Amino acid sequence: MTSWHLDDDALRRYVERIDSLAEGASAEQHLLSCEPCRARVGAAASVIEFSVIDFAAVWDRTRDAVEVPRPSVFERLLRGAGLPAQEARLVAVASAFRGVWLVGVAAVLAFAALAAALGHARGVWLFLSVAPVVPCLVVASSYDPWMDPALEPELVTPYPMLRLILLRTIAVLALALPAVLLFGLVVPGETAFAWLLPAVGFVAVVLAASTWVSPLRSAIAVSSVWLAVVWLLAARSGSPDAVLQGRAQAGFLALAAASFSIFLLRRRRLRQLRPWR
Amino acid sequence: MVTASISLRDVGRTFGATRALAGVDLDLKPGVTGLLGPNGAGKTTLLRLLATALPPTQGKVRVLGLDPEVPAERTGIRRQLGYQPQEVGFPRGFTAFAFVDYIALLKEWTQPAARHAEVRRVLGLVGLSDLGAKRIRAMSGGQRRRISLAQALLGSPPVLILDEPTTGVDPEQRVTLRTVLAELARTSIVVLSTHQTEDVAALCERVIVLDRGRVRYDGPVTDLTGQAAGRVWLADEPDPAAKVSWRTGTGRYRNVGGRVRDGVEHVEPSLEDAYLLLRGGAPEPETAGEVAS
Repeated sequence: MTSWHLDDDALRRYVERIDSLAEGASAEQHLLSCEPCRARVGAAASVIEFSVIDFAAVWDRTRDAVEVPRPSVFERLLRGAGLPAQEARLVAVASAFRGVWLVGVAAVLAFAALAAALGHARGVWLFLSVAPVVPCLVVASSYDPWMDPALEPELVTPYPMLRLILLRTIAVLALALPAVLLFGLVVPGETAFAWLLPAVGFVAVVLAASTWVSPLRSAIAVSSVWLAVVWLLAARSGSPDAVLQGRAQAGFLALAAASFSIFLLRRRRLRQLRPWR
Repeated sequence: MVTASISLRDVGRTFGATRALAGVDLDLKPGVTGLLGPNGAGKTTLLRLLATALPPTQGKVRVLGLDPEVPAERTGIRRQLGYQPQEVGFPRGFTAFAFVDYIALLKEWTQPAARHAEVRRVLGLVGLSDLGAKRIRAMSGGQRRRISLAQALLGSPPVLILDEPTTGVDPEQRVTLRTVLAELARTSIVVLSTHQTEDVAALCERVIVLDRGRVRYDGPVTDLTGQAAGRVWLADEPDPAAKVSWRTGTGRYRNVGGRVRDGVEHVEPSLEDAYLLLRGGAPEPETAGEVAS
């Protein structure tokens, strides 16, 4: 038994846990040896209105902190660009936008840009070979059944598949634009920008072709044809002019417009997407 | 009150030259209907048709009075549909909660608090309340199967299509899932395919047996089992008169079908016995021209 007792204010502060660490430790030490003060704890606690604490809400917030996945960097970027949170999540979920993929794609482009920066003609050709096909490969990966294992349950939800595919496509192209600016700093001449229209055209071709066949297969086919054309041109002329000239660029624009029109006309065929494995 | 229903009229589906379904006529009401059939019978094709994942090449399908061929009506069906495919892949790095939450987003659960509560509810129904934050890659096959079932249960849909929901699930959890599905089936149409005849016997009031794309039997489970009455018996040796015989755990042989002889020890037939009788005895080898179901 001690000769002093906790005053009412100290007891209230202890019960409400608004005292300092030192005060709390002191009060607790005293309570261990003081029966009268321990008896007063119960009375002090009963006046706190526990009913005002929504334990269910507290528990939900705690579980949210543990279970709800944190948005990825890409998802935060999409939100920052103005996309609603739920749609940013739907876009960012695609395997194509996972860190490993993005690092891989950036590494390939950086390698090609570095080769071009060396100033050698083959370096420029290498850049022109790789850069235009990367976006269509990433777009195809963003909704190909082989890369999207959850496609079957995704397909039968009310969310429009067309919207999902287009959102992911736009996200890929939005990623490509900063890449243009970045790599344009090191690639000589117009080459750094000449790949943009072919890239847009190839993305549109892949979208249209995926109403018939697997998106990834069509992207691989488009990439193979492009590589063959580039190497053929390189062997013949030794200069990238054929790709850079205005007529060729207009051709890529026309290809993009025609392919996108076909895609829109045949968009209902997308519902027949199914795993080809 | 209008009763929810699904109807199929002369429905068929081909894949190239391969016929997966032909001339299927069905009417489905609230309750649990089990689909039985050998591999390649067309069970998965039928479920994918009902789930609007695949259009028929012949005939008419109506789900809750809506035509899945009409885009707006197809979306209307999907708003009232839960579907568990035979195989569900999961995006890399996902937790159980993240996956079900992702499907909930696609199902238009846009309000985060309500969505998270619903995700927790369905994970709780399949016994995964405490594993929401666990990565799916680190889970067992049975747990993954339950995650794929959880996403189908989102919103307690009026139509629930389940392709082999209990495969790989342990006996205790199977009993729990049966309870969940039976409760849902009070108001919803639940159609499930399975190779587990005991699940059908325990859960379904109606069974449909498919074989090579055609309906071989459609009726109450008890009627199908009743067809085997008096045609199942135990003996010390395989009986040549039986269509199929196998050695049981007691060391005696269970004989099904064929001529019934006097002096044999008849036993209560199971749904599996009746199914084997309907199929004509031993399983047939898969033939070219069938698709994997």
